[in-house]
Amino acid sequence: MKLPVAAGLATAAVTITLYPLFEGGTWFWSCIGTILVVTVTGTVASRLGARPWVAPAVTPVAVLIYLTLVFTPDEAWLRIIPTKDSIVRLAELIGSGYDDIQRYAAPVPDNPGIMLLTTAGVALIALLVDVFAVRLRRAALAGLPMLGLFTVPAAVITDPIGWIAFVVAAFGYIGLLVADGRERLSRWGRAVVVRRSSGASRGAAPDTERLALSGKRIGVTAIALAVLVPALLPVLSPDPLFGFGVGNGLGGGGGNIGIPDAIAKLGGQLRQQRNATVLTYTSSDDVPRYLRIYSLDVFDGTKWTLAPLRGRPEDRVSEGPLPPVPGLRPGVAVKRAEMRVTMSEEIDRLHFLPLPYPARQVEADGDWRADRASLMVFSTEDEAAGLDYRVTTEEPEPTLTELRTAVTLPDTDRYLQLPEGLDPRVAALAHRVTADAASSYEAAVKLQEWFTRDGRFTYDVRASGSGAQALSRFLLRDRIGYCEQFAGAMAVMARLLNIPARVSIGYTGGTKIGNEWTVRTHDAHAWPELFFDGIGWLRFEPTPTGAAGQGTAQVPLYSLPVTPTDDPTANPSGGPSSSEDDDAGQSAGPARPNPRQLDRDLDGTAIAADPGTPLPVKIGIGAAAALALLLLPAAARVVVRRRRLRRVTRTAAGGHAAWAELRDMLTDLGMAGEPSETPRALGRRIGERYALGPQAAEALTRVVTSEERLRYAPTPSASGPVPADLHRIRRDLASKASRWRRLGAALAPMSVLLRVRAAGEGALDVFDRLEGLRLWRGRPGGTRAATTPERPGGTRAGADDPARELTLTGARR
Amino acid sequence: MAVTPDVTDASARLEDLIDTAHRIRASIESVIEGKSDVVRLTITVLLAEGHLLIEDVPGVGKTMLAKALARSIDCPVKRVQFTPDLLPSDITGVSAYNQQTREFEFKPGPVFANIVVGDEINRASPKTQSALLECMEEHQVTVDGVTYALEAPFMVIATQNPIEMEGTYPLPEAQRDRFTAKIAMGYPEPAAELEMLDVHGASQPLDKMEPVATTAEVAALIEAVRAVYVSQPVKRYAVDMVAATRHSPDLRLGASPRATLHLVRSARAHAALSGRDYVIPDDLQELAVPVLAHRLLPSLEAQGQRRRPEQLVGELVRRVPVPDAK
Repeated sequence: MKLPVAAGLATAAVTITLYPLFEGGTWFWSCIGTILVVTVTGTVASRLGARPWVAPAVTPVAVLIYLTLVFTPDEAWLRIIPTKDSIVRLAELIGSGYDDIQRYAAPVPDNPGIMLLTTAGVALIALLVDVFAVRLRRAALAGLPMLGLFTVPAAVITDPIGWIAFVVAAFGYIGLLVADGRERLSRWGRAVVVRRSSGASRGAAPDTERLALSGKRIGVTAIALAVLVPALLPVLSPDPLFGFGVGNGLGGGGGNIGIPDAIAKLGGQLRQQRNATVLTYTSSDDVPRYLRIYSLDVFDGTKWTLAPLRGRPEDRVSEGPLPPVPGLRPGVAVKRAEMRVTMSEEIDRLHFLPLPYPARQVEADGDWRADRASLMVFSTEDEAAGLDYRVTTEEPEPTLTELRTAVTLPDTDRYLQLPEGLDPRVAALAHRVTADAASSYEAAVKLQEWFTRDGRFTYDVRASGSGAQALSRFLLRDRIGYCEQFAGAMAVMARLLNIPARVSIGYTGGTKIGNEWTVRTHDAHAWPELFFDGIGWLRFEPTPTGAAGQGTAQVPLYSLPVTPTDDPTANPSGGPSSSEDDDAGQSAGPARPNPRQLDRDLDGTAIAADPGTPLPVKIGIGAAAALALLLLPAAARVVVRRRRLRRVTRTAAGGHAAWAELRDMLTDLGMAGEPSETPRALGRRIGERYALGPQAAEALTRVVTSEERLRYAPTPSASGPVPADLHRIRRDLASKASRWRRLGAALAPMSVLLRVRAAGEGALDVFDRLEGLRLWRGRPGGTRAATTPERPGGTRAGADDPARELTLTGARR
Repeated sequence: MAVTPDVTDASARLEDLIDTAHRIRASIESVIEGKSDVVRLTITVLLAEGHLLIEDVPGVGKTMLAKALARSIDCPVKRVQFTPDLLPSDITGVSAYNQQTREFEFKPGPVFANIVVGDEINRASPKTQSALLECMEEHQVTVDGVTYALEAPFMVIATQNPIEMEGTYPLPEAQRDRFTAKIAMGYPEPAAELEMLDVHGASQPLDKMEPVATTAEVAALIEAVRAVYVSQPVKRYAVDMVAATRHSPDLRLGASPRATLHLVRSARAHAALSGRDYVIPDDLQELAVPVLAHRLLPSLEAQGQRRRPEQLVGELVRRVPVPDAK
């Protein structure tokens, strides 16, 4: 009868892991209620001896009644019997809940719709677990639906689930396995059947305690390892520094390269607590530059992804300069700069080089190739971790005229593609924002201005999603997001305005520390690049910068609205646009000190240098910590001994302290006796076997007698032991023990270790409680066969009962 | 430490007790050589107001021990030789019609004594056995509706041959339970046997025995034993020990609550004989086998492995942890 309960408890334990998805706590009680309904229904079904299919058939009805009672009691008959109205209302709630889930990012408010969806989902999981574990007796398989439930928060949010929640969930599952194993074993019957086995009823059930205990130990050890090992080893960090990676199975000469959801990883990096160094670089002109890793040019309505890359052998960076910069006309002025980049060793599986755009020449060890279209540099074999490379960049420095006259070429179609079913309001918005723009460039500037200033956006890394729906929500409703949303939204709007656009993922220029620029995890960034013919791809920065935004982001100068005074030649295009420019210039022109720039400068100087801890020191600290941990029992022993010796003289019951110390001393030296050894017997044994000297023997007698009288006599003995007695005994005993024993007693005292183990076994009692749980009284063990009549007049008398004999010798059901 | 008069009194009585007990012991040992632990247990049972069952093959001195104890105390001693044709009234007594007084007169049976030696108790029919056992438990005899109280102290020392021997009716477990302890005499050591030849070869040693204690003294001793202190942990230990016999898979029948009572009572006597006014777990450990083993039924598996209850109890005692102070 324990198995359905264990199944319910396991589901409840896993349900706890949903906590990061919700704002409030009411959903939990609603879920617990539904688990209770499923469990009770299942238990009653088993209790009544129904066939296995009855419970799964009846449970949905019970759940429906429960949902009706909780969510639509007003429409129901007698508040619980579902009616047509109540069913319709439930359906409506489910619909609104579904909409809400689409609309909100986690954590979601627990409004009725979402709660109903959650409760129904948990009921389904509980039912599946019940079916697997109780009806089909496949408790291990019941882990699958639970795992499904467990992956929901893991899939929705990038933060790892709290380890306590994980431990609770794992314990729930192990509890289920233990309950199942126990019941399974108890059905085997006795291993060996002698003609008539012991008449006692408890003899009928096999002794599963030891088996269960080892099972529990394995389970607890597994959980402890699962929690501790990733925490201790930085390599196996549950949220690795870098999740960017390249798909497998690539040919040497090129082929398709996919990056699994680069954008999702970006948010993860930004939200991470730890701000690890990713790379450092120096540049010839000491100007920070954005370092691009990926260029995402395909928007499929759910996310931005990468078109297949081509890395031809002739495009190896070692072969010479990179392929020509797409779209750059020879006449345009460029600024040349050299950078030397050092990647951190800790980066995980990065097959792309972070490079400034457009890179012209890259000197790096390994088979690195450039993609002609995007100038991304990648390798199918080598990794960027620990790499040290040089890169030369030639940034276009177009004049305003060049920018304003730039047009879009027809062959850039792929950078204009948008999925079907994009919210038309987004297009309307894009056109409204850029209504006054005379050229593509001006439209782009307007867009950026709208994002950073007029649109009143809020920067918050907790937002999520970059799909079409998230886009609508971001642009039309919340206006809360971080670089991912800003970059994606601007790129989409630019495409809507017929400006080729793509989203780049990489890092901002970072912070200057000492002589070099340091780029850290929190500098991870996404930004849009827009294409202008004759100039090529230009970076824009719609994300708020500075303290209230992406801290190290920088707005490129060419993307700022220009004032008439700034560039007198830039005014020929006439009336409407120039007046617009005036407005813009008054509010955000570079004539005024740019607050973002100030922040930038501050950031550059305010951060103190953090050289990090060198590896040998780390190893040293680790070793010292390990040593300290190992010596902890010894230290604990010393503390305990001191405290006891003080107590021996100071308190009336000092005899107990002396005795406890004596016992521990013997345990440490490997001279402990059985638990059934009385003080007197112990004294006799030690005195005889180890041939103590007369003084020590006397001291031993004093300790033993004192303890005996304290425990069992009405009055304690007149004179108790003194600390010197214990010292004497210890000296004498230690001289009888081997050297290793003495060393062990000092460094790893068994008395402390045993106590730790006892504490651990105490923790295992959680399982025993779980196993001991019974819904009905009077069926000890639940294994007594039905053929055994309950006999009044003592259980022992039943030993000669022929009916019992039958049960015991016959095979059990 | 303040010593209260009560304690002095108690220890004084205790010293008396030890003195008297030693005298009885010495007296018995003058007859039974090399069996000091058996003698000690016999006295323990006497002081615990219990009854003793001595089981062994014929001729090892069972009856001798019983008689020696009886002789050492100056009190009425009766001996009943149990035979298959012995009737209950042969033990309890009969009401006979007195023709002179024209009334029924009760003729007390052999149980009306301080010490009753029941020889070869398992040779009598169960009906007769149970008549004796009833007296043991209730310390009274009811004949023809009239109840007669028995003497105090009242101790039955029964001897029996091992049940495998021919012509015996084994005592049912319910009746064995009435005996506080069962001991086996065992064969004497060669040296002791040699000495026995020298001492007893020519004369009957029992004839020379003189009582060394009076009934009143023994009653006082019993009173003193009752005052021996049993701490809560020791009581718990006794309960644990008895409970262990009930939960052991090797035993078909565990010990009864009466066994717990007997165990603690005899532990008191044992402590007193050791000169202590409080019981320690060692007392219980020492008494566990003689007090508990004869009440238990080993399981068939254990029987098949030829494990005797004495052995099983010994194993259980090693497994039950000794109680700490609270």
